[in-house]
Amino acid sequence: MSEEPQGTNIEGDAPVAEDVVETDSATVTDDAELERTLGLSGGLAIGIGTMIGAGIFVFPGLAGAEVGTAASASFAVGGVIALLVALPTSELATAMPKSGGGYYFISRGLGTLPGTIVGLSLWLGLVFATAFYLVGLGFYALDALAVVGITIDASTDVVVAIIAVLAGIGFTVLNVTGTENAAKLQNGIVALLLSMLVAFLGFGMLDVLGVVGTEPTGGTEADRWAAVPIISTAALVFTSYLGFAQVATVAGEMKRPGRNLPLAMIGSVVIVTILYVVTIFVATSIFDTGQLESFGETAMVEVGRELLGAGGAFVIIVGGLLATMSSANASVLSTSRAIYGVSKDALLPRWASRINLKYGTPHAALGMAGGPIIVLAATGQVELLAEAASFLHLVMYGLMCVALLAIRRDEPEWYDPDFRVPGGPVIPVIGAVASFGLIGFMDEASIVVGSVVMLATAGWYFYYARDVKLKGVL
Amino acid sequence: MTRVLVPVEVLEGESVSQGLISLLSPMDVTVLGYHVLPEQTPADQARLQYEDQATDALEDLEDAFRSAGGDADHRLVFTHDEEQTIDRVAAEVDARAIVLPGMTVAVDELLVSLSGDVAVERILAFVTDLVGDRDVDVTLFHAGKDASGAAERLESSAVDLRGHGISVRTETTVDSPLAALLGVVPAHDAVVMGEKAPSFRSLVFGDETDRVASASVGPVLVVRYDESLDGQLADRHDEQLEAEHDEQLEAEHDESVDERS
Repeated sequence: MSEEPQGTNIEGDAPVAEDVVETDSATVTDDAELERTLGLSGGLAIGIGTMIGAGIFVFPGLAGAEVGTAASASFAVGGVIALLVALPTSELATAMPKSGGGYYFISRGLGTLPGTIVGLSLWLGLVFATAFYLVGLGFYALDALAVVGITIDASTDVVVAIIAVLAGIGFTVLNVTGTENAAKLQNGIVALLLSMLVAFLGFGMLDVLGVVGTEPTGGTEADRWAAVPIISTAALVFTSYLGFAQVATVAGEMKRPGRNLPLAMIGSVVIVTILYVVTIFVATSIFDTGQLESFGETAMVEVGRELLGAGGAFVIIVGGLLATMSSANASVLSTSRAIYGVSKDALLPRWASRINLKYGTPHAALGMAGGPIIVLAATGQVELLAEAASFLHLVMYGLMCVALLAIRRDEPEWYDPDFRVPGGPVIPVIGAVASFGLIGFMDEASIVVGSVVMLATAGWYFYYARDVKLKGVL
Repeated sequence: MTRVLVPVEVLEGESVSQGLISLLSPMDVTVLGYHVLPEQTPADQARLQYEDQATDALEDLEDAFRSAGGDADHRLVFTHDEEQTIDRVAAEVDARAIVLPGMTVAVDELLVSLSGDVAVERILAFVTDLVGDRDVDVTLFHAGKDASGAAERLESSAVDLRGHGISVRTETTVDSPLAALLGVVPAHDAVVMGEKAPSFRSLVFGDETDRVASASVGPVLVVRYDESLDGQLADRHDEQLEAEHDEQLEAEHDESVDERS
């Protein structure tokens, strides 16, 4: 089908490669078949389930505090960038429906060095993202405790960090030892959240537009409609759009990948973008920047209280807990798949993809996901974690667009995507420029953290796997 | 020749008994080795680790089936959804029946359940192929309300099988089909059932087959629903419903006549 990957890593392991045939329902190798078991709804649930936890339940307060109602525009900008990347990603994913997602496309399209950087950055990016979701979960858990009348005599940050760490340990242990499939539960949670949000936001819009309810009690501090703050807020909240790439990490498990992958990725981006823009509009119409800043991560609870009283606040707390949990859990799963993809290509030690004999789960990869997640969650730094996660993902997004351009320029024989991005190079070029450009609007600290991580991954390549050749190999 | 699918969870230590191997000797056999993974585990990752071990076990089984008689091959699938996998492979190899392997030393007593709306002709054809000229006693079994119609059906089925030189006895009861079936299953070495719905899942993984399988200990052979018979079955079902509907109308008509008089 294509030339073999070449070279070995420092331990003498070569990438695992063999001829496979991809059908709509299975991947057929020489001696075995791998059943594709995820349908379109499963794919959408992964994408949406990963995203809404951040965008709906954590960011409205933080983004609204920056620019007020103009944060709606920030979320729209983020959504457009995500869509510009989701389209090229869909093309690559239908041509290479393999587990590993962005890492796989870039290592094949651009070579081993960019591949290693992205593969390891995807792992660590997901680690940052998961830690961020867990800290968000911590804030909601704190609010939930307050509702049931438990107040803890310690500073908020400490309590949130403790809850986040405990949740991180819990998710890691559950994923290593749990053999019950939670996929159906996840689908149910996403469906529940979506219907809850549509009802809540529908009522919120009616209220804001003055059809129902009372005059808003919000303050009068002005919104900041200016390009630079809007875009730098977009850079902050871009973590809300990381989920569609998680869909690509399970590309090897999607049924009818040629149809379902583009639908799941593009569909989940479009759906969450609409929800985000409306949510922010409602939240920032009810409260002004100063109020939102004081509410912080759980500003949506106050929005719920304002709109529907104590019941509304309760609904948002429950929703926030479910959404941040589903985000965290979906990310832990993607992280272990990202590690597996890299380890299979001999860029990480082979033991990283060993499977536990007792539970049948990839305990090493889950541990490599869970360990750093717990450490980062302990920092409790919501904005830094979010931006570092976005930074690492945006590099991957930009490179995926570049990889698409590179692969198209001299199309290998095996390159036969079911979905092609219309308009020639226009969309991938804009997608790459937008992804790299957005990084420039981030906080300095986040850029430093992200750059250090990337340099470390490049260093790992030169130390461990400089002789491995993956470019152009299917 | 008739092909059957034998799904085996090889990596869980599941195997096939000698009795089943000789029972299936007149058949072509596809051994489906499958391994169900938790969702945390990518199928490909499990394949790398377990493929060789599983293939060894499957090749042994394949050899055993082949030396017993018919042709044999194997497939190995790593999956998160066993129903989907068995369903897909059964369709791909065009298996006439799916065999839930149970423990049996030798099959002398074969129970054939014809209760409910199953494709009787296809089950009988399968049993004829399966038994061949071997010394196996077949019990045709029907449970359900329509006892008189069932008795006729069983008797003509028995005549059909005896025409092929098979020793047959029949048994009918008016008890509810599942409970009655579970009652007679332990006295037999293996069970042949028909798939009722177009979706294979409802039967093979429904309560019914599971419970029959656990009650019987021995193998359960589920004759698959056939596309080409799909229409006929549906038609027959419709006719039956129509007939019932007509009867009901007549009864109502009669009642109203009675009231007037």
